Amino acid sequence: MNDVWIAGVGMTRFGKREESLPDLMAEAALAAMADARVDTPDTLVVAAMNPEEFTGEGNYGSLIATHLGLSRVPAIRVETATSSGLAAIYAGFAAIAAGLHRSVLVVGGEKMSHLPTPRVSEIIGRSIDAHERSYGSTMPALAGLITRAAMHRRGFTLKEISQVAVKNHAHGARNAYAHFQEPITLEAVMESRMVADPLRLFHCCPISDGAAALLLTAERGAVRIAGLGQGTDTMAVRYRTELTSFRATQVAADAAYRMAGFGPERVEVAELHDAFTSFELIALEDTGLVPSGKAGRATLDGETMIGGRLPVNPSGGLKARGHPLAGTGIAQLVELVWQLTGRAGGRQVEAHVGLAQSIGGLATNNWVAILEAPR
Amino acid sequence: MIGDRLVASRCPRCQRMVVPPARICPDHAVRMEPGTVPAVGEVVSFTTLHSPPEGFRSPLHIALVELEGGARLFCHGDETRGFKIGTTVSVEEVDSVFYFSHMGFADRARLFWRRAGARGEKVASITKSLVKGAWKGRSSGES
Repeated sequence: MNDVWIAGVGMTRFGKREESLPDLMAEAALAAMADARVDTPDTLVVAAMNPEEFTGEGNYGSLIATHLGLSRVPAIRVETATSSGLAAIYAGFAAIAAGLHRSVLVVGGEKMSHLPTPRVSEIIGRSIDAHERSYGSTMPALAGLITRAAMHRRGFTLKEISQVAVKNHAHGARNAYAHFQEPITLEAVMESRMVADPLRLFHCCPISDGAAALLLTAERGAVRIAGLGQGTDTMAVRYRTELTSFRATQVAADAAYRMAGFGPERVEVAELHDAFTSFELIALEDTGLVPSGKAGRATLDGETMIGGRLPVNPSGGLKARGHPLAGTGIAQLVELVWQLTGRAGGRQVEAHVGLAQSIGGLATNNWVAILEAPR
Repeated sequence: MIGDRLVASRCPRCQRMVVPPARICPDHAVRMEPGTVPAVGEVVSFTTLHSPPEGFRSPLHIALVELEGGARLFCHGDETRGFKIGTTVSVEEVDSVFYFSHMGFADRARLFWRRAGARGEKVASITKSLVKGAWKGRSSGES
């Protein structure tokens, strides 16, 4: 298997954007190609979760290839719900590892803020089991069920769950690409509007537009994809016997560590899928980055802040950087590359190994990637 | 519903029960067989939506309940005041929708008699009609 390197990265600012999704993807892709000094990749992988419903356009691989002036470059589209970005990176990784191509442009994003919030929630909610949806289950509803169970069974406190939002907003305030660049207080989080008891508005990520891209290559560079793993679970939450941890994350992390040849002890920075802030605590333990039962305490003690033992979501995470669905997994790796190559500006941490975890649907299709900058 | 049991399906390989019945086991590529499970279980978790999707009343109470035998199902209910994880609830199916309700004294007595086996049928039928009446009539249940 060939080693796979990340030669260039790029992303748009996340948030409410006026541009079309193809324009956002082009902005990110052109930045990544310029960063890699590549103007024609061998192939193109596009990640978009629901562009047909959000934008009315389909055939997204060809659409983006044409929009980028790459209509002669073979293109595919990859989708695993909200983790589509890392799934697209997997497709590009596999193509280079197998020797099918020498360079792959991976670009992903979403454009949805132009639609009313209930409509956006309904479209995202189609990734939930139909029977459970017929009970009014939305992503926040299922996350509310999981969070309450985790508080009861794993001892997470509302303060710990809320502190994740405070930390990630503090990080986002240092990131010019973030949707939210203002710090928030613990009181503001704990007094925000109730959404899905016990989850309040500031425990939930926003609806963001944006795109991110990276250029994968077989040529040795600064940062290598050391491990990449996928894990899955049932669409129906009621079919799972374990509600307070995600098998899909655990399996993905095991596979990624196995490929990398090392475990969580070498990870120095992480980007985790905090679509709901309780999910960051669950992810910390599911990936083995923090021992079981310690994620809440580690968060309150500042271990996961920039400057702490293990900075988590230095970008601001989904909570503050924003969550343009299929753009998120790619943006996580963009952030890790910037961190591992000393290009993260005012939020720079000291790290040679980084981990990203991305949740698809309600943890039905998750990915873990491990990046390494060899010394 | 059949009596105080719910229609379910069972995997012939792992014996897992699923409600409502499914054609294929979630864990094995085999056809499931018909079965039933008791309409009594414990609350695994619950939430209240304050901005539910279109077509649902607000606030919307949703519970995930684990029935005796292990099958889990989603339910609606009147309220979750006084609810705890682990609370025993009875489940009723009305027009293919499951509803949970707190088990009051009468329900628990019924459950006791059913488990005890003796004279259970008569007690069950009396309390069942009481429960049904109470469920449909009340706006704020006991807790």
